[in-house]
Amino acid sequence: MMTTKTSDKNEKMVDQVEETPEISKKDLNQLFWRSFQMEFSWNYERQASLAYAYAMIPILKKLYKKKGDLSAALKRHLEFFNTTPHIVTMILGVSAAMEKSNAEDKNFDSSSINTVKASLMGPLAGIGDSFFWGTLRLIATGIGTSLSLKGNILGPILFLLVFNVPHIALRYILTKVGYNMGTGFLKKLQENGTMGNLTFGAAILGLMVIGGMSADMIVLNVPLTIGSGDSATAVQDILDGILPGLLPLAAFGVIYWLLGKEVKATTILVGMAVISILGAWAGIFG
Amino acid sequence: MITALLLGLVAFVAQSEYALGTSLISRPIVTGLFTGIVMGDIKTGIIMGATLELAFIGVFSVGAAIPPNVVVGGVLGVAFAISSGAGPETALLLGLPIATLALIFENLYLALVLPIVLHKADRYAEDANVRGITTMHLLGGFGMSLMIGAIVGISYFVGSDAVTKVLDAIPGPVQTGLEVATGLIPALGFAMLVRLLVNKQVAPYFFLGFLIVAYLKVPVTGIALLGAIVAIIMVNVMQKPKLATNEGGVMDDDDEDF
Repeated sequence: MMTTKTSDKNEKMVDQVEETPEISKKDLNQLFWRSFQMEFSWNYERQASLAYAYAMIPILKKLYKKKGDLSAALKRHLEFFNTTPHIVTMILGVSAAMEKSNAEDKNFDSSSINTVKASLMGPLAGIGDSFFWGTLRLIATGIGTSLSLKGNILGPILFLLVFNVPHIALRYILTKVGYNMGTGFLKKLQENGTMGNLTFGAAILGLMVIGGMSADMIVLNVPLTIGSGDSATAVQDILDGILPGLLPLAAFGVIYWLLGKEVKATTILVGMAVISILGAWAGIFG
Repeated sequence: MITALLLGLVAFVAQSEYALGTSLISRPIVTGLFTGIVMGDIKTGIIMGATLELAFIGVFSVGAAIPPNVVVGGVLGVAFAISSGAGPETALLLGLPIATLALIFENLYLALVLPIVLHKADRYAEDANVRGITTMHLLGGFGMSLMIGAIVGISYFVGSDAVTKVLDAIPGPVQTGLEVATGLIPALGFAMLVRLLVNKQVAPYFFLGFLIVAYLKVPVTGIALLGAIVAIIMVNVMQKPKLATNEGGVMDDDDEDF
């Protein structure tokens, strides 16, 4: 069984075997564009499988001229698949490279195509979900909402740009990276520790942004005062003297703790509404 | 009537983000803007969208979990709040339960329609019928977008007056309480996210971010940039001992890619 590691090797192999069509830059571009629909036909049973097969269609059609071969390949890619959609092109690229080897080489173990897919989707989702949903989306939300809350139209626009410029750039680059590096790439990342470093760095960045947003966007004020006349001090000023944002941080802590106790999010939400209304009624919050 | 149709269209396009690279156009911060345009009050739409965005910040799909439908919740929440002349807290009050209700429809569609589509695609694969598979894929996706669009359009058409009446009947202290809740709700989303990302090693960075903003009032963009620098520094510090003992050259290469 051969796993093609570099494109050079690919080209050499083609010379020996009868005319298997090349996978051109255009084909990879098509793979890139089709990958945008990765969650469109998402379903519980096999998740992104149908979209994955849909994305692979042009390449499979090019590689397999016999009906039986094409049918087998289509069925192969209708198997269960799920990963972070924004960087799925990397796995699509690997699959494309492997399908090409499969078409060229009769001894190629075609089941390895799905084995590799399955072994890639986990690690890629691990790093992809935390980076795209955790870190990048949070940064976009932070920048976007801080403008939008003032009614600034730049808010939604920046929100989309901050998320999608890196997203689409990565999606594009990874198509080629996946295709060129074939199967060895993620394994290499995992072996030399780059994978761990990326996850670690993304977690630091994400948490600092959430921390900052918590201080900025969780609002809880106490309108009470102690004493009367000139000597009256607002309770809020005392609290701010201890730590600005003390109450929001406390609220965060309580909710975090409740989530750890497996209390449902909806229950917490209703609880928050009830406490807020009671607090406003009693004049403690406002 | 035209408003209802246009809102349905906004929802249809927003739900179609799954055909557009999961690019976050379904998020309330984006749909709020477009709902505002349809309702003729852009500024309010943007503000309400952002308020809902913060409330929904913990709502996103990781792995196989389907979250409440932010499209229906976002568009209808903002539209009803604007049409009844209420504030952002009303958008929240309406948007959250509506999103959860819409999830029921979404799940029904996923449970009843998509299995049929998927198994038809299997049969087409048997015949190597490429066009059939493509049709099934598009049918499955557009069906969902159409359904979401229809739900939003019909709900607005039917519910607008009723919602205004109910909102007018809410007593004052409850309204204030809901405003307080609007400030608190983001905490839930943040807490859910922290649960996802945190371990003992990285927990201090949450507090670092919090304190920097609480004391220095640095805007979020600043925190993001600072965070990136801190992340790079920490990764470098962690890597040093490793570099001294074994292979170093390979790592340097890979770092520059990111």
